[in-house]
Amino acid sequence: MRFGRYSKAIGVAAVAALALSACASAGGGAESTGEASATGGTISVAEVNAFSSFNSDTAAGNVDVNGKVAYMTRGGFYHIDNELNVVRNEEFGTYEKVSDDPLVVKYTVKEGVTWSDGDPVDAGDLLLNWVAESGYANDAKSNEEGEVTSGTNYFDYAGDTSGLGLTEIPEIGDDGRSITLTYSKPFADWEIAFGGLQDGGIGMPAHVVAEKAGLADEQALIDLINGLKRGDAEKPAKPNAELKAVGDFWNTGFDSKSLPGDTSLYLSSGPFIVDSVTPDQSITLVRNDSYNWGPKPSIDEVTIRFIGAAPDQVQALKNGEVDIIAPQPSADTVELLNAIDGVTVNIDDQLSYDHLDLNYSGVFADADVREAFMKSVPRQAIVDRIVKPIKEDAAPLNSQFFVPAQEAYTPSAEGNGSSAYAEPDIDGAKELLAGKTPEVRIMYNKDNPNRADAFSLIQESAEKAGFKVVDGGLGASDWGAALGKGGYDASIFGWINSGVGVSGVPQIFRTGSGSNYNGFSDPKADALMDELMVTIEPAEQDKLITQIDKIVWDSFYGLPLFQAVGLDAYNSDRVEGVVYQPNQTGVFWNFWDWKVKGE
Amino acid sequence: MVTYIVRRLFTAVLILLGASFLVYQLTALSGDPLADLRESNQPNKEQLIQQRVELLNLDVPAPLRYFRWLGGAAQCLVPFVGSCDLGFAINGQPVTEALGRAMGMTILLVTGAAILAVVVGVCLGIVTALRQYSTLDYGVTFMAFLFFSLPVFWVAVLLKEYAAIGFNNFLREPHIPPATIAVIALVSGILWYICARGTVKRRLLAAVTGFVLAAGILWALSVTRWFSTPGLGLAVILIAGVAIAFGATTLAAGLKNRRALYSALAAVAVGLVLYFPLQPLLAQATTLMIALLAIATILVGIGIGYLMGGYDRRQNINAAAITAVLVAGMVLLDRYMQAWPAYFGNSRINGRPIATIGSETPNLRGDYWVQGLDTFTHLLLPTIALLLISLASYSRYARSSMLEIMNMDYIRTARAKGLGERTVVMRHAFRNALIPIATIVAFDIGGLIGGAVITERVFAFAGMGQLFIEALVRVDPNPVMGVFLVTGIMALVFNLIADLLYSALDPRVRVKV
Repeated sequence: MRFGRYSKAIGVAAVAALALSACASAGGGAESTGEASATGGTISVAEVNAFSSFNSDTAAGNVDVNGKVAYMTRGGFYHIDNELNVVRNEEFGTYEKVSDDPLVVKYTVKEGVTWSDGDPVDAGDLLLNWVAESGYANDAKSNEEGEVTSGTNYFDYAGDTSGLGLTEIPEIGDDGRSITLTYSKPFADWEIAFGGLQDGGIGMPAHVVAEKAGLADEQALIDLINGLKRGDAEKPAKPNAELKAVGDFWNTGFDSKSLPGDTSLYLSSGPFIVDSVTPDQSITLVRNDSYNWGPKPSIDEVTIRFIGAAPDQVQALKNGEVDIIAPQPSADTVELLNAIDGVTVNIDDQLSYDHLDLNYSGVFADADVREAFMKSVPRQAIVDRIVKPIKEDAAPLNSQFFVPAQEAYTPSAEGNGSSAYAEPDIDGAKELLAGKTPEVRIMYNKDNPNRADAFSLIQESAEKAGFKVVDGGLGASDWGAALGKGGYDASIFGWINSGVGVSGVPQIFRTGSGSNYNGFSDPKADALMDELMVTIEPAEQDKLITQIDKIVWDSFYGLPLFQAVGLDAYNSDRVEGVVYQPNQTGVFWNFWDWKVKGE
Repeated sequence: MVTYIVRRLFTAVLILLGASFLVYQLTALSGDPLADLRESNQPNKEQLIQQRVELLNLDVPAPLRYFRWLGGAAQCLVPFVGSCDLGFAINGQPVTEALGRAMGMTILLVTGAAILAVVVGVCLGIVTALRQYSTLDYGVTFMAFLFFSLPVFWVAVLLKEYAAIGFNNFLREPHIPPATIAVIALVSGILWYICARGTVKRRLLAAVTGFVLAAGILWALSVTRWFSTPGLGLAVILIAGVAIAFGATTLAAGLKNRRALYSALAAVAVGLVLYFPLQPLLAQATTLMIALLAIATILVGIGIGYLMGGYDRRQNINAAAITAVLVAGMVLLDRYMQAWPAYFGNSRINGRPIATIGSETPNLRGDYWVQGLDTFTHLLLPTIALLLISLASYSRYARSSMLEIMNMDYIRTARAKGLGERTVVMRHAFRNALIPIATIVAFDIGGLIGGAVITERVFAFAGMGQLFIEALVRVDPNPVMGVFLVTGIMALVFNLIADLLYSALDPRVRVKV
């Protein structure tokens, strides 16, 4: 066969045209400019950390941004508002205290509440949540280094198991929509013990976990949990293979930086559902169409973009790439933000606070020396140097237990004797020292400029009173390990007030507790704390803490210095309804009130 | 030769082992991974500490933990087993997965900047070498060192402020005020003066030309609202195409070679003729299609050059192929510009196209061209930032290498036997000047995969540098080791390649076996 030159050329051209049209995109030439009917608009929020897991309750998944995604995609019995009140969502379900002694609480999910795949949210889900958060079957024992020596930890739950750990296996009722928890002794924080949105709500769907763990169905999981025995670290039982499979899947099965192909891994029972994820860059949530059990958001879509550094967040806000930011607060950042038109900046207290603790040993074994040192601390000057540049109306914190956002703060602060330390009293300190010149070594994190500033101000003032202050500051990587190990007389660092709940109190102040680094011990305070932990009336709790506050101040424990400052800013030309919130949920706490102007 | 390579590879493995041990220890001892928990007053503090100890094996001393890591990493060397285990990051993500993703992002970020830096840097270097000690030479040297010494985070912040936020504000009402036109035109005039050669009169004339040209173009762009609905159109492609044809011919063959010039002009003509027939096809473009079209373009260029005939077909082919590729590039650019209004008006862009963070607009849905524009607007600023700082080294290397070559005896010989200046420069000097550059480029490619730590951070780009720095801050050795392994291997391999390349390119250098 012979072809002419031209027919060859035509043949080549035809083949080429065919090849090109074969690889054309299927969609044709349609110009896609917008998307389907959007009415509420979209809001984009900047976050520091990157999304990494759909289960924010595990040790690995316990990153703030995962918790925020869970907050928007889960149903829960209550949330915490910006004034640190517990706000129940009765449209999702109810919980009530059935009896005080023994403490019995019944949780009921409302009929019609479903996961986004149509499966109802029911007792199975509550039970799975309970078994993970109570650590009921865990019987692992670990040595000093933290190594597990015997037994098994089934669920790597990142939260505190001591509350739900008091409960027995719950009873299921109301056609499988309720569980009833019976506590072995009264538990102070019962109201925030289970199913709160800020802790991930009713976290993982039981029917999915059951299936992925190789169980027949959700009922098999319920039967498995009902058949469990309480774990005893002293007498570890043989590992339960089925529960181990459930635990392993719960621990790691929902970890994913990208959107899994299997939609059952990111079911939603809340207002939004995850729509797309760009690993380490952004996550987009859209409305969950079936949701009608609780506050309804007015926006259609939320995008969270991950931006690490504060100045970059500010520029992204300025360029309209994000609408809401919550960067690390600093005087520079505030200045940058204030210079942008149409941006509203919210600056307010956070729940963490810096404090000066005096060891009840060494030079400070003598109460007079402690009092003299406390008298010489310039708290107002520290606040002026560190907090004032960011928040103009900042004041020293006057309670070891409450923050000003809580109602009990004012009476407690007025009664605990903190007013004696409002301004340094050098003469009073000199009088107490009576000519002695004790040497005080203060330990703090040298690499934290705020702590270093506080140290130098305290040093300057205390030396006037006759103290010899030695700089015991350590680098960022060493100071934490040195806490409680001795070798210093006083320390400056930070605690985080939980805002709601009282379980954190004994952790710091009870004799021999894990975070009681300075050796504070007072039998009366211990007794009050024991009482506190079994007191379930909030008003009674406040009264007890107020008494403990007074005891702590009277024993010259040390001084709270100031509350850290939080910051959020948003494009108020475009967005409204953003309200500051001091706890870890941040601005997301009322995302259902966010609105895009003009939409 | 083989023994040499084997010997090099063997030492490379030893270096990697030693260095990885050192890096692991330094990372593990760089901080306290429990620091945040020690400060905690949560009721379940002990439990949290225990969980983290278990996750990171903190109960095992760091030197021993290294060997545990090494055991997992060694499996990566066993081919076809697929049980590569580089451990887990603190957030539970497998390091292999994180590395794969980060490498993709880093390659996306640095490829454009690296290619541009090499091309522009080498061109600047050659030109300044040919015009040594001229105003142009001093000007380029000054600018190169200026950019080289600017801190990249600062350049990045300025770029964001003016090239992104400022430019986006400008796009809302794309009208250029006369004062701005005057200033830019003046700068253009000065640049023309610097670049021109000859008498002062001639250079002043060039300056005036530059001034008028810049002012005219800016004015036209402003009046026609070009920034809202950009495009090139046939006229611009025609004018620029003819200019490219002449330029390409000058470089590839010299204007005296009429056949080469006609080949290049024919390539322009083909591009213009195909402009309209191609539009419906381009409307359904995919990456594969663009790749095939690119190959077709080169083939058409070669075909034209071949058919033109003459005593030296190669020169025709070169001129025509270069022209064809550049004209096709303009057609492509024109198509992207046609998609601009759709991109600009997209509700997720909201009229602010130039981005300051990330590599894409979340949930942007659009066709091939809109997606392409989105990538462009996100890569623009980081590419400029990276380009500015890496221009200096390439232009200096190219300049010194070219200067050295131009003083060689064989260049004098070439001139003495009557070769034209174009042939001397392009064929005898330029190629040989590239030999040292080739080895530097090979070496730099190895370094590029390591990521641009600061640039990635400022532009919130989740690449290798970001992975490294974030893991280091959390005192999380596994991701750090992953990054180290990749960059270490890359550095060693490309070092070897650079050495081999040198001996392959330059017959004077032969490896002693």
